[in-house]
Amino acid sequence: MKKLIQFELRKIFSKRLTQVTLIALLLLSFLLGFSAYQNMYAFDGKNREGTGRTAVEIDKSVAEKYEGILTDEKVQQMIAEFKPTQDLHGMNAVYLYQNSLQSALFRKFSDMNGNWNGLSVSDVFGNEEIKIGYTHGWLKTSENMVRIFIVLSLVVAIMTAPVFSGEYGGVDNIILTSKYGKTKCATAKIIGSILAALIVTIVVSAINLIYAFILYGNGGLDCSILFAPADFVEGYIPFNITCGTLLKYQILLAFTNTISITGITLVLSAVCKNQMVALVASAAIYLFPIMLPVTETSPLFKIITLLPLYHAQFVSLMSVEQISGNVLYALMAVPVALILMGIGVFISRRIFAKHQVS
Amino acid sequence: MELKTIELTKKFGSKTAVNHLNITLTNGVYGLLGANGAGKTTFMRLLCNIQTPTSGKIVLNGKNIVGLNEKYRDLLGYLPQHFGYYPDFSALDFLLYVSALKGLSEKRAKKKSKELLEAVGLSAESRHKIKTFSGGMKQRLGIAQAMLNDPHILILDEPTAGLDPKERVRFRNLISAFAKNRIVILSTHIVSDVEFIAEEIIMMKSGQIIHFGEPQEITSEINGQVWECIVPAAHAERYAASFNTSNLRNTDRGETILRIISDRPPMENAVKVQPNLEDLYLFYFKGDTEE
Repeated sequence: MKKLIQFELRKIFSKRLTQVTLIALLLLSFLLGFSAYQNMYAFDGKNREGTGRTAVEIDKSVAEKYEGILTDEKVQQMIAEFKPTQDLHGMNAVYLYQNSLQSALFRKFSDMNGNWNGLSVSDVFGNEEIKIGYTHGWLKTSENMVRIFIVLSLVVAIMTAPVFSGEYGGVDNIILTSKYGKTKCATAKIIGSILAALIVTIVVSAINLIYAFILYGNGGLDCSILFAPADFVEGYIPFNITCGTLLKYQILLAFTNTISITGITLVLSAVCKNQMVALVASAAIYLFPIMLPVTETSPLFKIITLLPLYHAQFVSLMSVEQISGNVLYALMAVPVALILMGIGVFISRRIFAKHQVS
Repeated sequence: MELKTIELTKKFGSKTAVNHLNITLTNGVYGLLGANGAGKTTFMRLLCNIQTPTSGKIVLNGKNIVGLNEKYRDLLGYLPQHFGYYPDFSALDFLLYVSALKGLSEKRAKKKSKELLEAVGLSAESRHKIKTFSGGMKQRLGIAQAMLNDPHILILDEPTAGLDPKERVRFRNLISAFAKNRIVILSTHIVSDVEFIAEEIIMMKSGQIIHFGEPQEITSEINGQVWECIVPAAHAERYAASFNTSNLRNTDRGETILRIISDRPPMENAVKVQPNLEDLYLFYFKGDTEE
């Protein structure tokens, strides 16, 4: 069995299309990370401004000054420090961006002129203890990883689509007449596909996290996502979780995402005689939820967000509800992924064993 | 060992590829002859259990092969007519993969793969990628993979297709040496291959067996119907088109010797000759393409 799994892994990773898409995915990771880093902008409210590395340094030094638990005093100090010195020409100050801490502050505590809006920390966050600090780098990494994990799903579909359908081009004759062709071989194919998907997910996640660590350092992982700059959708997750917890959930959901897409693609690979058909069908099923006109107020929202696409685009799923403490509804993605994988394993194995050579 | 088909039938829509076929095969080499579309490949696939019969069954020593599952496949070696391969695998890797599928231990797989690569004349190319192989080399690799598990039932669909004469001789010797105490079934359009190595001939037409027996026995059916006659070379083509001609040979005297299959003497100087399998094949399948 071990030997058969090794051969299946080799078949998956030796395909030119797989190699090209994996390289493209890694390049995308580097490009998105690098471009986000280079495009960062910060102004300390006095005399220092810059982009890229300078912006990160400014953001970090501003955050360092106020890091810790958010208090009403800190809010007042920051409002005073970041108050706009120039005429905003009618622009709402909430959209003003000087640096990441100022943006987060104005989103919650500023009126349209950049003055305090009269709300206290408890008015905005209730009894939650909000730890603030430099979160910009990790939030940007999380934002990039959403795109990367969606592309990763398509790469996993590309890797998995030929697992069964690729054999229907003629090797099925030989496989299905061999001793283990209808039994251990099908199992080895499934295990190989799952392992390949997991390996790629681990590598892609690790590369993105290491890259972020190199660019931004490890500070801010224990800070709340609720005090995020205005342009981060992660800030709309209505629960007081830290950046570290956010990333843990995101990585977990990346795995449930790839396991789900592997399960779906395995079924299609066993059903379709042509690997391109299997791939297109798998990608269509995966991306289909984008077309669904379901809003957060719909009762179907809780179910729709459990579809694999929303595991990768994880903010909607993370926003559904908090079960208890730091445990979110998003964890329901785990049984969903296991069910999809279970269906994939059962059906694909059965179809392949009963496949009629033509 | 006895492999038996009982009322074996396979239909594809309205077309019946194998029609209520009953045959009992014991150890020996069987040559399967028939025109394209006669049902040979479907029959072989049914024997390999990679197509399900519409009705009827196949039994090995009294047990249905469907129920035997892995035990049956462990006895089986199969070379399909068109077999796929992994272009980026080397010949040795491909054989090691098939060995793993057949449940050979790693040590035995390596030994057996090397032996068979040697036997089919591919040992020098064992590390070359299959995508660089010619059609004949791929075919030889296909033959090697079918024999990896020393199968007791070896089914070869068009094994000599794409092989040059030297390779065909090598193949015939390989099969003859291998066939002892085994069931070997091979189909081919090259009648001489079957003639050399098959102990028994199965002739199929329209999904049914029309002849089953030893070559001499079944060719005796057309005894007295095969003629050789000498005609002027200039008229040879006209005669060949008018009769069921199995061979045409020019002499250096400006004449042509025609070998004609006919129930009556085709011309006055015609001489009766001993029929061979090719004559019998043409007798049944002249101009026949059933697909």
